[in-house]
Amino acid sequence: MKVLDLQLDQFKEKKALVQKLKSMGLPTPKTEHYRYFGIRPIFDRDYELHKPRVVKIEEADHIEIVDGTITKAPKELYIEFQKSPRIDDSHYDQLYYITHLLSDQVANIEIDEDRELKIVQKFTQNGAFIPFRLRITIAPNTHVKIYEETLALAQDTLVVSGYDIDIAKDASLVMVQNRVTSIASFTHIASHAVNCQEQSRYDLYTFDFGNAKTLHNYHVMLADYAQTDHNHVIFGYEEAKLGNTFHIENRGKESKTSQISRNILKDKARGIFDGLLIVKNPAKYSAIYQDSKTILLNDGAYMISKPQMEIYTEYISEATHGSTTGHLDEEALFYLRQRGIAESLAKEMLVLSFLEEVFDKLGDEKVKEEFIKLYEERQ
Amino acid sequence: MSTMMKIENLHAKIGDKEILRGIDLELLKGKVHAVMGPNGAGKSTLSKTIVGHPDVEVTEGKILYKGKNIVDMEPEERALEGIFMSFQHPVEIPGVNNAYFLRTALNAKRKHQGLKPLNAAEFLKLLKAKIKELGMKEEMIQRSLNEGFSGGEKKLNEILQMEILEPDFVILDEIDSGLDIDALKKVSEAINNMRDENRTFMIITHYRKILDYIEPDYVHVLKNGKVLKTGGLEIVDALEKEGYKIFGEE
Repeated sequence: MKVLDLQLDQFKEKKALVQKLKSMGLPTPKTEHYRYFGIRPIFDRDYELHKPRVVKIEEADHIEIVDGTITKAPKELYIEFQKSPRIDDSHYDQLYYITHLLSDQVANIEIDEDRELKIVQKFTQNGAFIPFRLRITIAPNTHVKIYEETLALAQDTLVVSGYDIDIAKDASLVMVQNRVTSIASFTHIASHAVNCQEQSRYDLYTFDFGNAKTLHNYHVMLADYAQTDHNHVIFGYEEAKLGNTFHIENRGKESKTSQISRNILKDKARGIFDGLLIVKNPAKYSAIYQDSKTILLNDGAYMISKPQMEIYTEYISEATHGSTTGHLDEEALFYLRQRGIAESLAKEMLVLSFLEEVFDKLGDEKVKEEFIKLYEERQ
Repeated sequence: MSTMMKIENLHAKIGDKEILRGIDLELLKGKVHAVMGPNGAGKSTLSKTIVGHPDVEVTEGKILYKGKNIVDMEPEERALEGIFMSFQHPVEIPGVNNAYFLRTALNAKRKHQGLKPLNAAEFLKLLKAKIKELGMKEEMIQRSLNEGFSGGEKKLNEILQMEILEPDFVILDEIDSGLDIDALKKVSEAINNMRDENRTFMIITHYRKILDYIEPDYVHVLKNGKVLKTGGLEIVDALEKEGYKIFGEE
């Protein structure tokens, strides 16, 4: 099937979703958040639809999802499959609704005690179209860290997925998404909806490394005193298209958004940072910060950087945004070489120093080592 | 006295502009050579040419270092062979830890010399001893390379690198610029401590002041991309009285 060959009227039990999609229209190459991703060749291709199934879940210390199907999970975790989960009715991405439409059942993971959780997503089916969603609900005053690893092993496959996350009052979620893809014909588009209730916190770290095509569209909503801190690193090479788009809405008073993006692009890779921070009228004394920086390692690489803000209140405590794109600092490179450090190592030191802010903040050496390994392999 | 570096008929340009127009200069082992000249004389370009800065294109001539022409060598190869330049404006590199940078540089040199690399503990011991000698603040080694350093701290950090790397040929490009008198004394003392019969210094400066603290064996005057005069400290005295105009074109 082709992704957009949807007979919408067949989804009789999901009328609200169908209506929403009809009102938005299907995504086209001119749809703002897909404008630079080149969706036509992806959506024009024929795939074999591979829907996730509900199977007996094997006990493990982590959640494993293979081609959208949950196959392993910790025993104590409460997972419920829902036919009609609650959805975000104001998401900007049409694929958010399409994935919900195509998902017969959505796994809802309820977490009501402080914990760390690892999620491994594997994609193994060649030539497949894999739509699926996951819902995570975090109970009030609960603090959770999720480390997610994506392993793309399939050729010519399109995955459309996403999380619906509810973070209750006084709860927090640190989510680390480590997405390494080294199969050029693999495409992953994800639409996430994150609802942060009063005084909750959502910290997101994303690491997109590789040569594939991945785009993650995040809709985040912040209630009173809620805050979100986004940190993104992209390292793309060959003809990769790696990007993140956002609508982050400060809906409640004194809510805070901070977002930094650090991108390294090589060969003919393209990076996308398209972030819209919105401060709604009731969100008085909110603070928003956005900063995207890119290093192009050669002339063929390309970065689309669109930091944007819409502020609908007169009372705001901070609103800062900026974006820079350039090459490695030649004088810094020469300085290191003058001390006897080989050019390739000197470049690596500068690239790492550029990313240090994010790696340092996360404090996870494993992700940093993975980046170094991949970077060195590409030299 | 043996020659450390011999520069022969060196022509070099930056972009389309020819700056060095036939430099001939002999720098001797174990000696301190001061290179003076007015603004635009080509002093900094000469130092950049010796260390292989990519902005500079050598169009003619040779730089013979320990008897070998280094004109086509990469900057890091020249550094590993023992050429060190203290930068006039040391670059700030946020995110590159000062100690990590220094250990990487030292171990690159040790590898080149066929020596075992120093592990973190061995290096730290060496580093702590050097910073104590230099009277530097210990916290400077854990900061990012030159980031937020004062002018004096940056120059001291250059000297620290020189002491750790123990080069044979040292270019001090306006090491005195931006230093107050106390910092100048400290830097000069460190340089004087490094003087020995196997090491050559080339001090590039506009002013006499630093030469009061580091007495040169030879003084060379550079103007319009050529060496116009070579002599001793009497040249500096003459320059102080008359200025560079006394050295007209040959």
